[in-house]
Amino acid sequence: MPVGAGTVAGGAGTLFLAAAIAGGAFVYDMGAVSIHVQGKKSGGENIRLILPAAAGPIALWMVPKEKLREGAREARPYLPAIEAATQELSRCPDFTLVEVTNPHETVHIAKRGDHLVIDVDDPNETVHVSVPLEAARLVASQLADIPAEEAGKESPPNSAAL
Amino acid sequence: MLVKRLLVSFGVILSLASWALASDMRWLHVRVEDGGQEGEIVRVNLPLSLAEKVLPAIHTKEFHEGKVKVSEAKFKDVDIRAIIEALRTTPENEFVSVQSSHEDVRVAKSGGNLLVKVREAKDKEKGKTDTVEVSVPFTVVDALLSGNQDELDVLAAVRALGAIGDTVLVTVNDKDSKVRIWVDARNTAD
Repeated sequence: MPVGAGTVAGGAGTLFLAAAIAGGAFVYDMGAVSIHVQGKKSGGENIRLILPAAAGPIALWMVPKEKLREGAREARPYLPAIEAATQELSRCPDFTLVEVTNPHETVHIAKRGDHLVIDVDDPNETVHVSVPLEAARLVASQLADIPAEEAGKESPPNSAAL
Repeated sequence: MLVKRLLVSFGVILSLASWALASDMRWLHVRVEDGGQEGEIVRVNLPLSLAEKVLPAIHTKEFHEGKVKVSEAKFKDVDIRAIIEALRTTPENEFVSVQSSHEDVRVAKSGGNLLVKVREAKDKEKGKTDTVEVSVPFTVVDALLSGNQDELDVLAAVRALGAIGDTVLVTVNDKDSKVRIWVDARNTAD
């Protein structure tokens, strides 16, 4: 029985729908990076950005390779620690990691749900940043996957054991 | 109805599991209070389990696999392990006490802890003194010194800290600041 154009179009549509659902599920699962900067002075800026956290790892593909290698080289000693920290943080109950208060400003870094939340309040502005832990782990993991020789540095000793 | 019951049961089990996990955790707290005009307060709360996972993942020249390299020169003239061993086997009492016109240093062993108390007179007329008190369980000291001669095993010390009860490790009171470092089961600093 010959395969009609309608059948092919239907198959392609189903595939497209499945890909869209899988992509949507991935984006939803990763959560969102939220940035909010509110100026306190008259005419101060009010910036509110909510980006799908999946954009972070995807954005790495768009960074020029040279820049990516440079960043990976500098961050390499700390990437396994970032991965380990984000994994362990996701298992911890909500808590305040660091709190700094003085008469002029407060800085607050906390783990809230699956996010690392940073709040800064100073005389000029308030800043709120919320980053999904999984997104941070994935970015660190991707940077760590760049081969050491490509990143221009030798592997740390015993890095194979990590 | 059955689904509702199942969901409620699942929720209760999940809550109990999270509570059990949370209550089992040990936390290291640091509180620094600046006594100057700014009056800045810094509070840090760190789950020891997080430190246990992160420390082995740090690989730098001096820090590797949770152990920090200490230059041999620093251990050259002093056999710290022998001193600690001697202290550990010493009966509980005050065994070093140095008193001078402006400084008192007291080292003692009490309740399985190594205690160091330093009291420095800053302004005799105003009666101002700086005090530093350090209290470290011997199990933690042993763990810290359990590596090679030229290294301190920070990871082992963190694990040992996780096994002790609520303890104040360091208290510093001077004219500029107050510092307190302690371990307990709460995820908030006071």
